[in-house]
Amino acid sequence: MLQIKELKAGIEGNQILKGINLEVKAGEIHAIMGPNGSGKSTLSAVIAGKEEYEVEGGTISFDGKNLLELDPEERAHNGIFLSFQYPVEIPGISVSNFIKTSITEKRKAQGLQTLPTKDLLKMMREKMELLSIKKGYLSRNMNEGFSGGEKKRNEIFQMAMLEPKLAILDETDSGLDIDALRIVANGVNKLRTGDNATIVITHYQRLLDYIVPDFVHVLHNGRIIKSGGKELALELEEKGYDWITKEADKKWA
Amino acid sequence: MGLIKNIKSYSEDIQISAEKREILTSFLSNGFPTTKDEEWKYTSLKKVIANEYSIENKGEIIDSSIIEKYSLGLKNKIIFSDGKLINTPIIKGVNINDFSEFESANTDSILQLNKALSQNGFTISVDKNTVLESPIEILFFSTTVNGFSQYRNQISIGENSEVKFIERLQNLNNSASFVNHFTQINCAKNTKVEYNKIQNNTAESQLIDTMNVYQEQDSTCNINTLIFGGSFIRNNLNFEQNGSNCESNMNGVSILNNNQLADNHTFVDHKSAHCRSNEMYKGVYLDNSKGVFNGKIMVRPDAQKIDAFQSNNNLLLSDTSSIDSKPQLEIYADDVKCSHGCTIGQLDDDALFYMRSRGIGIEEAKAVLTYAFASEAIENISVEQVKTLAKKLLAKKLNVDLDFSL
Repeated sequence: MLQIKELKAGIEGNQILKGINLEVKAGEIHAIMGPNGSGKSTLSAVIAGKEEYEVEGGTISFDGKNLLELDPEERAHNGIFLSFQYPVEIPGISVSNFIKTSITEKRKAQGLQTLPTKDLLKMMREKMELLSIKKGYLSRNMNEGFSGGEKKRNEIFQMAMLEPKLAILDETDSGLDIDALRIVANGVNKLRTGDNATIVITHYQRLLDYIVPDFVHVLHNGRIIKSGGKELALELEEKGYDWITKEADKKWA
Repeated sequence: MGLIKNIKSYSEDIQISAEKREILTSFLSNGFPTTKDEEWKYTSLKKVIANEYSIENKGEIIDSSIIEKYSLGLKNKIIFSDGKLINTPIIKGVNINDFSEFESANTDSILQLNKALSQNGFTISVDKNTVLESPIEILFFSTTVNGFSQYRNQISIGENSEVKFIERLQNLNNSASFVNHFTQINCAKNTKVEYNKIQNNTAESQLIDTMNVYQEQDSTCNINTLIFGGSFIRNNLNFEQNGSNCESNMNGVSILNNNQLADNHTFVDHKSAHCRSNEMYKGVYLDNSKGVFNGKIMVRPDAQKIDAFQSNNNLLLSDTSSIDSKPQLEIYADDVKCSHGCTIGQLDDDALFYMRSRGIGIEEAKAVLTYAFASEAIENISVEQVKTLAKKLLAKKLNVDLDFSL
């Protein structure tokens, strides 16, 4: 589904990603872990198409398409979804209108007819239930005055509505208490099918107790320095990052 | 050449009182304001008055389909055609008549001209204790090519009454029409008034709109100004609070493109204690458009416990658009709360990316964000039909298909 080869990217002349290689297949969950400043958020922003980041080398292909040639909205139409670490507040637009616009645009791009409002509302109610979201939420302005947890839940709600092929969850656990974390993780798990894939970007192992990854990658200084199964996350939790980052620093020095 | 000459030759043939003749003479010797005048520093009338105009007084019949097109479909309609009153509704407790003379504080030459020569406009007087469910819609049509018209309107609201108005000036041809519009509203004790101005005229239309509002105690007056169309618009909106517990609210939205210019001058004169004023003007400027905002708040020495708030927020969406924004606070009382804020900016890149990452195309995303920016002022309008129209005009102007029906 997603193939990243020798990806080098940066911002304002500073190279942050120094050659990333990653392959994600349908049905898989990948966790990307790493200390602060390792390039985790840059990687997610580059996949989603944030224009401030310059791609200096390498390729990203998604379902055989060259992702780097597509605008952010085209990437979304092709099935990529990024759950933001810091979701943006948009006063003046209700959650329901935002999602309606988003789904209408996606369907338009796919050559599908506009979903009737009735069906859309029904779908929203179903997904709200899935994520234990209270009534009245749909008419609130997008992320305005939302608590950290509400913002993250709103991200997963949008993901549930847009049904992406590849979801990237960027630090979805930050700002969530344990109950909210369980609800969000539960939602993500329920949305899993054999056809979609998830990349979980996280600092801590905690979220991975609930969203169990097939693969764990350690990102450090713009490179994936170690990959393994879910047990790697537990090892990191126990030993910290030092033992592998030191080794890697020696290698790339 | 130009408007001054047109006015001169028109006025030679008409019968007016000695007093009016004197006012006219004074106007003709002073002329229109220039950019040397502090109140007109950023807005030049030079081009507007250089045009040739024919002074309107025909009053053609307007086809009902045209009325339907520009009306919001409310049952109470006052309709003017080239200055002539052609329709008045019958409403219990409301007397609607044609033009009548009234005194006004004539502070500038534009109002002098209006006072001297205007013979058109409406006179509305609302009885005491009258609460109107349905708003009164006022349509001013112009069919004259390069017509110059002057309206002089007066509204008196009796004690404890509540009325809402919607006003629209519409040129029915594409020529450079010019309207010198003046409306005076007297709000008696404990009245509630909302006046909505839909300024969405044809591309070459020009307008100077002056409104003086006089408020007695416990009255609330809301004026909403929605600017979408017209090449030149100057609004002078003046409030005078003459009793305690008055509230004056102003909401303004300007969405301009091409070479449009819109200038909002507001003045709130807090003459009594325990009053409030609240103004929110939002401007969106595309292409070569230009905005001007000048908000003056005066708090007189005895007007204690005043709560006055003013904001003017602007989005410049092109490199060649501009805004001149000037708050002017003059406070002579010591126990007051007055604040003002002005912002000038572009659309937030993070918000744009957020929306694009959800599949919303860049143009649509910009439109949605622009709508979101302007909507705060639109949401304060209480007449649903006006709100819906404002949203539609906004979407049309930004050339997107927005559907806010959910």
